[in-house]
Amino acid sequence: MIPTRFEYVAPRTAADVVAALDGESRLLAGGTWVVPEMGRAESRPRRVVDLRRAGLATISVEGSRLRLGAMCTYSDLLSSEDVTRHAPLLRTMASGVTGGSALRNQATIGGSVAAARPQSDVPATLVALRADAVVAGPAGSRRVPTAELFLGAGRTTLAVDEVITGFDLPSERMSGHGYVKLKRGGSSWPIVTAAALLRLDDDGRCETAHLVLGGVEAVPMTVDLTIMLGRPLGDQELDVAAARTVAALSAPWTDVLAPGDYRAAVAAPAARRALAMARANVGVTEGERHGRRPDCP
Amino acid sequence: MEVGLRTAGKSVGRPVRKHDGDAYLTANATYTGDIVLPGTVYAALVRAPLAHALIRSVSTAAAEGATGVIAVVTGEDMIPWCDEIPHGLDAGHLGGHHSAVFPLAVEKVVYAGEPIAAVVATSEADAHAACLMVEVDYEPLPVLLDVESALAADAPILYPAWAENVLIEGHVGNDDFAEVARTAPHVLEGELRTHRGTAAPMEPRTYLADWDAGRQHLTLYASTQNPHVLRTVLAAAMRLREDQIHVVAPKVGGSFGLKMYGSREDFIAPVLARMVGRPVSWVEERAASLLPAAREQVLSYRVAFDDDGGLLALDVEALTDHGAAAPTHGWAMAYVGALSTGLGYAIEHCHVHYRVVVTNKAPWSGTKPFGKDGATLLLERIMERVAAATGVDAGTVRRRNFVAPSAFPYRHTSGLELDSGDYAAALDQTLEILSHERLRADQARLRAQGRYLGIGLGFELMPESADIPGGFVAAYDTSTVRMSPSGRVSVLTGVTSPGTGSDTGICQLVADELGVALDTVSVVQGDTDTCPYGFGNISSRSLVTGGNAAVLAARDVADKIRAAARALLRADYDEPVLIEDGIARLTRDPSRSVSVVEAARAVYTRSYELELDVEPHLESTRTYRPSNIREVPDALGRMQTYTTYPYAVHASVVEVDVETGVVTLLRHVATHDCGTVVNPLMVDGQVTGGVVMGLGAAFSEELVFDDDGIPLTTGFKTYLLPRAVDVPRVELGHLCTPAPGTPLGAKGVGEAGFAGALAAAFNAVNDAVAPLGARLDRTPLSPIAIMRALREARR
Ligand SMILES: Cc1cc2nc3c(=O)[nH]c(=O)nc-3n(C[C@H](O)[C@H](O)[C@H](O)COP(=O)(O)OP(=O)(O)OC[C@H]3O[C@@H](n4cnc5c(N)ncnc54)[C@H](O)[C@@H]3O)c2cc1C
Repeated sequence: MIPTRFEYVAPRTAADVVAALDGESRLLAGGTWVVPEMGRAESRPRRVVDLRRAGLATISVEGSRLRLGAMCTYSDLLSSEDVTRHAPLLRTMASGVTGGSALRNQATIGGSVAAARPQSDVPATLVALRADAVVAGPAGSRRVPTAELFLGAGRTTLAVDEVITGFDLPSERMSGHGYVKLKRGGSSWPIVTAAALLRLDDDGRCETAHLVLGGVEAVPMTVDLTIMLGRPLGDQELDVAAARTVAALSAPWTDVLAPGDYRAAVAAPAARRALAMARANVGVTEGERHGRRPDCP
Repeated sequence: MEVGLRTAGKSVGRPVRKHDGDAYLTANATYTGDIVLPGTVYAALVRAPLAHALIRSVSTAAAEGATGVIAVVTGEDMIPWCDEIPHGLDAGHLGGHHSAVFPLAVEKVVYAGEPIAAVVATSEADAHAACLMVEVDYEPLPVLLDVESALAADAPILYPAWAENVLIEGHVGNDDFAEVARTAPHVLEGELRTHRGTAAPMEPRTYLADWDAGRQHLTLYASTQNPHVLRTVLAAAMRLREDQIHVVAPKVGGSFGLKMYGSREDFIAPVLARMVGRPVSWVEERAASLLPAAREQVLSYRVAFDDDGGLLALDVEALTDHGAAAPTHGWAMAYVGALSTGLGYAIEHCHVHYRVVVTNKAPWSGTKPFGKDGATLLLERIMERVAAATGVDAGTVRRRNFVAPSAFPYRHTSGLELDSGDYAAALDQTLEILSHERLRADQARLRAQGRYLGIGLGFELMPESADIPGGFVAAYDTSTVRMSPSGRVSVLTGVTSPGTGSDTGICQLVADELGVALDTVSVVQGDTDTCPYGFGNISSRSLVTGGNAAVLAARDVADKIRAAARALLRADYDEPVLIEDGIARLTRDPSRSVSVVEAARAVYTRSYELELDVEPHLESTRTYRPSNIREVPDALGRMQTYTTYPYAVHASVVEVDVETGVVTLLRHVATHDCGTVVNPLMVDGQVTGGVVMGLGAAFSEELVFDDDGIPLTTGFKTYLLPRAVDVPRVELGHLCTPAPGTPLGAKGVGEAGFAGALAAAFNAVNDAVAPLGARLDRTPLSPIAIMRALREARR
């Protein structure tokens, strides 16, 4: 039940969506965040611009890049073979989202990114995957690395008349991935997430390494792991990565479920576990990966 | 009144499914929110955004002009229509302070979320929208958010007329600790803090009130636990006669105490309906439903004990953070906590000084298990500390202190009189289910690998079916059993069911007494026009009181069926008749029989064939009043105000991830004794549900406020109820020591599980982190608290 009155439009193209946007409008994707907010009258837009007809829910592969429409839901990610093949990290992430099938069928990745909530699963995952957001605005389309999209809790670089139409990311077919999520129970928002991607060369040395934590700071926190490149992935290297995670921390995020000092304290173990999982995952074929679901606490 | 024990019958004692379970499962059950009357309008509340403030002015003009708005009502506007809310248990009559509470705040708000005005509109959305347009000018006052600040010498006084921030205080037991401690081999002191939690039923408080101006009559559909008493207090405050009010409680989607009669929320819809002359629907918002509180105490203790771990004396200073004053029974949880402190352990000197402190938070509201949780946690914590101090095993310490089966009836220092039980046997069974020895070996082995398993015990003893002298909480209740000419049986009860299934249990009892099939019997509850006056469901009483009353009434009806059968079979008036499987037959000549249906029909249609002293109807109303209640205080001021004393021994097994503080619950075992079990499915369901609720309180359910007293846990993504994935299958053991003081021997089971689970989980986590030198003395056992404790230990 939404107490305030508003105009509702559902344009059929991204251009029409952009045309309908202004300072008093609100984009509606799956609505799992917007609708409750409007129900509590925390948000009172004059116009609601629904994305459902704008055709933004496709998933495709072009060359070595994966394209995801902004309106892809968690279920879309879970049922896409392209996602399983090229970004299994997304699949693992989506499988640990709460809210049951109702939420998984409804909530979109574009909505999660645009909402920019520090504790959400999607933002840090997309940053770890080095995804670009494709953003449509009055002047046309621009691409922004997701890492540069987030300004703070609930704040992005998106202008009021811009819409994310999709994401474009490199294939991680050859990488091992790890995803660790700390929560306060089944119903809790994530407290800290750690997404890791590792690729090894033929000699078992680290070729690429990406580690991004969510929930630790107001925006996804990237840990620079250049130091690990060219080295074999022993426990010592994981310890180094954990130490770098601690060093990367500057202003831990606090919310009602956990204070910053807790998030800071568990960032390193979460990071280390995600990397250990990624290490164990390297070279695992899709089939095997399918069979043995990585466990995310 | 002796009714006599019975053994398992055709229905009783069997795992019968809920008689109305299909309706719940197929979404065909009618809740209050499902009922729509022609012309229904909707209410919404303007709530205080500050925890403490004077209301300088309320401007309603803008809201009055808004779309769909029928009325905007302030606290002042409502006063001519509703007097102050009658207290369930007025602290002012018991040596404490009286507080006047109206449905909407007048002049001053004392907690954030307090309702200060109401809007009635033609749609729920318009009502909420207009609430945003009500302008309130507040003058902020300093806020008190904890007991220490509220008791400080320079603290602002919340209710100036009291001149203090203590609603009520009292002593239970003799204050003679110092004397005993002087010669005691050991004395330990400590402090235990519990946190604020709440009841959190899925269905919030929901009402539909219909005022008929022509008849001057109110019909109220309410998601309530006590329809009759609700009618009584509504009539008093609204200055109506009770016969001008009809209260109906449709299906209730959980209550856990929150829907006990007499909260200010009970009055919103009825008063507004009378003011606007149209049916008014009001559904409490989720955030508001999470306001009332269940616990938050500081328990300081001193305990004296001998070398074997035998407790000699216990002294407790119990500070309750009540929040604002309220007309409900909430504060009494502090008193009941004091009454039950140490219960089940033979402690000769047990003294509790309780103080109920007011602060700027929403008030305590009676919640399962009504204050006994804090007392349980305290004693079980003490048992562990005594075990650690003496080097005696924690189970053995409990065994040494338990009241022995040979000691019943046993009068506790608080006056409560334990009737039966075998606490040590419950402990033995729990340890056996656990494979305790082997588990301890596993624990030692895993510790060597850096994994921290913890095992914790928790003994709970729940006084149930309370009686408040002079109050509308009674140990007795009334049921009517009625058989129709076609042999259908209706049971009308003064008790109700919040979804627990006590009504199914009552069906089983009555079916067996009348020797008829279960589906012949239906139960009518929660209707003040049709059911006998009763006290609804509280204090785990519905089956014990309403069930026993129904048994008595069913026996009357069965006697009538026997008389009719004898008449139809031309048998002598003293010929014994056995009723079974719907057939009444002569015991001495079973070939001579009539069906119960024939006999029932004959009562109505061939009354002149019956003996003249047999009245030709098939209906009886009986009250069951337990004999063990003593309302008159003894020389020490002690009463015996509870009917039954069920108990359980719990064990929790946890693993603590010491890098993150995350706890994994590996196992939970509970051996429970509620005397005679009428329906094992319902009993297992109650115990399991209680355990899960207790584990939620132990680990994750917490009401959190910001520094200004604004609640931050406003929904189920932040007020964290346990989910199926969080809790292992609860492993249950059963004992049966029938309650000697009650017919049937059944003991209450509606509050079972919570307190013992909370205590066992608490002890388990402490056991897990003890080797690291860490200790937790407060709830919740959140990963945050565990990490802090570990960090402190490392210092
Ligand atoms: C029960 C429940 C459980 C949940 N569990 C989890 C969980 O486990 N982990 C987790 O991370 N999250 C969880 N969430 C949050 C959920 O993932 C987000 O609410 C969801 O992803 C938001 O997507 P949406 O499509 O519903 O967004 P909407 O609510 O429609 O929109 C969210 C915001 O983004 C804006 N927006 C939407 N799409 C675009 C776009 N394409 N371009 C620009 N702006 C846009 C909207 O205007 C709005 O401000 C849960 C939510 C619920 C209700």
